[in-house]
Amino acid sequence: MQTVQNKDASHEEVHIEQELEFSTFYRLHHWVRVLSIIVLTATGFYLAIPVIAPAQNPEPTNFMYALFRSWHLIFGFVMISMFIGKTYYFLFVKSNRAEVKSIKDIFRLENWAKQIGYYFLVTKHPQLTGAYNVVQFIAYVAFYFISLGLIVTGLILYVHVYHEGMGGVLYDSMRYLEVMLGGLAFVRELHHLLMWGTILFVVVHVYMAIFNAVYGKEGSIDSIISGYKWHRKH
Amino acid sequence: MKPHTEVSFDKLYKDFENRIKDLEKLPRVKEEGSVEQMLTEKGFSRRDFMKWASAITAMLALPSSFTPLMADAIKVVDRLPIIWLHMAECTGCSEALLRSAHPTIDSLIFDYISLEYHETLMAAAGWQAEENIEHAMDKYKGQYILMVEGGIPTGLEGSYLTIGGHGKKGIDIAKEASDNAAAIFAIGTCSAYGGVQAAIPNPTGAVALSDVTNKTVINVPGCPPSEKNIVGTLMYYLLYGSLPALDVYNRPKWAYRLRIHDLCERRGRFDAGEFVESFGDEGAKDGYCLYKVGCKGPYTFNNCSKNKFNEDTSWPVQVGFGCIGCSEPDFWDTMGTVNEPLANKLYNTTFSGLGADATADKIGVAILAATAIGVTAHAVLALVKPPKE
Ligand code: SF4
Ligand code: SF4
Repeated sequence: MQTVQNKDASHEEVHIEQELEFSTFYRLHHWVRVLSIIVLTATGFYLAIPVIAPAQNPEPTNFMYALFRSWHLIFGFVMISMFIGKTYYFLFVKSNRAEVKSIKDIFRLENWAKQIGYYFLVTKHPQLTGAYNVVQFIAYVAFYFISLGLIVTGLILYVHVYHEGMGGVLYDSMRYLEVMLGGLAFVRELHHLLMWGTILFVVVHVYMAIFNAVYGKEGSIDSIISGYKWHRKH
Repeated sequence: MKPHTEVSFDKLYKDFENRIKDLEKLPRVKEEGSVEQMLTEKGFSRRDFMKWASAITAMLALPSSFTPLMADAIKVVDRLPIIWLHMAECTGCSEALLRSAHPTIDSLIFDYISLEYHETLMAAAGWQAEENIEHAMDKYKGQYILMVEGGIPTGLEGSYLTIGGHGKKGIDIAKEASDNAAAIFAIGTCSAYGGVQAAIPNPTGAVALSDVTNKTVINVPGCPPSEKNIVGTLMYYLLYGSLPALDVYNRPKWAYRLRIHDLCERRGRFDAGEFVESFGDEGAKDGYCLYKVGCKGPYTFNNCSKNKFNEDTSWPVQVGFGCIGCSEPDFWDTMGTVNEPLANKLYNTTFSGLGADATADKIGVAILAATAIGVTAHAVLALVKPPKE
């Protein structure tokens, strides 16, 4: 741990210390997901209503829709691998106990009151033991289940396009889930609605990140790039 | 699906032969005439008949060597007593099968087979009709094939549907008839899943036939189902003496295994991204894919794209009109607006006019806008009064 001295305008000495907030895996997975979500949303809108018409071509070699679908599937599978990786990381990686500790925080009412008060600009930020504040943690858990829903509905749609290979292996189990969800049309609809859930999550998430960076003054945006965050030393 | 080996086909052939012999021994339910005679009278040649038999053989995924056997099998079809019930329905399934201008061999055979009880077709009425069904159910107990058309209303303890002078409830008739049947076919989307009367808000509490009986029900959905699928299901039962392999919705796999989209002749256009934008445009003339004008083929399991209608003349997508998803459960609710892609499905968010015509995207954008406003307001507020440190 490094300590840095900083003299601010009032010539009062402030000491800050550096703390590793996000590991390499964590940061990498975060940005891969950012890229995937952008690609998936863009291609997904096209797949729902194909707005772009391919250029005129005398040869039957245009596969515009199939191309969009391919990219959608490729990044869909990237998302699945990230989902599995992140789940493993959360549950089993020893050096990553801070995330798990957040679970304990959510059971204290005081944390909720203070956190919400902080967002309403009336109370102080609560002192927490885990990596995330309670509202943030619940939002992430919700996003986790939105991702899960997108993955499952996505795979159900997938097995009807590619019947061989992995599609063939998953076919029976996915059809079982399809019935549970009420048919393929509804699966398709659910997939679309969950995408909207993701979009809203991203908007609020980015705003909160900026808000915390501006007012927390801990370099929290930088931490998802460099991994390090700064704390005031008491 | 595992391919059959030659050996198993030989065995199957013998099994079928024996089954046909056994059926031949049974008394005919119909006294006069025979299927062949009937078809000749209606102007079909033996050649037409053999063509039909080979088509059915191919449809059931049997090798062409089975064609003569199929022709024999159809001759004993009058040994199988059939009871056809009408529940909450429009009689469209029966009508579609029976009232075509040029009756097909399928429809003639259907007309000919031993319908012991069929409210639309039978001569009897009133008390006599009631007696007929009781008589048939009693006489052929455990032997008859039950075909049910229509959903089963369960609201008000089932009294939305009563039939006959005794005011017997539909649900009770359906249960009783199912209990004593050798095989049960739910013909049409209504009896397979509830159908239009089960659409939200489902005032009569209509349900599928399979919801009121514990026995296996083979669903032959469609609005109406293709005649080939009805007759094919019957022929399958006749030959095998057992129920066909079924998919997740208890539909025979030989007919409902793949989506309309999987076997659609416009699929190449779909993958190419060439779509009809509005009916009658240049794309429509060139046979572009109908996805953007609401084709629900990608969500619908059926064999229309392969078997077509009206003696293989055509089918909806071929004439330039998208599939409406009629063979899927709750298609009235899940498939959204006809002629609009599923993404344009409307939600019930009228809010006295404010939210009319709300698609998922419209609602999403509205929530997004609200979020943006909230976020901006918060940011401005925080500028004026920074959060506590
Ligand atoms: S017309 Fe319908 S079923 Fe055919 S390819 Fe297009 S979307 Fe699929
Ligand atoms: S094309 Fe679609 S809507 Fe038409 S009969 Fe076939 S499944 Fe039903």
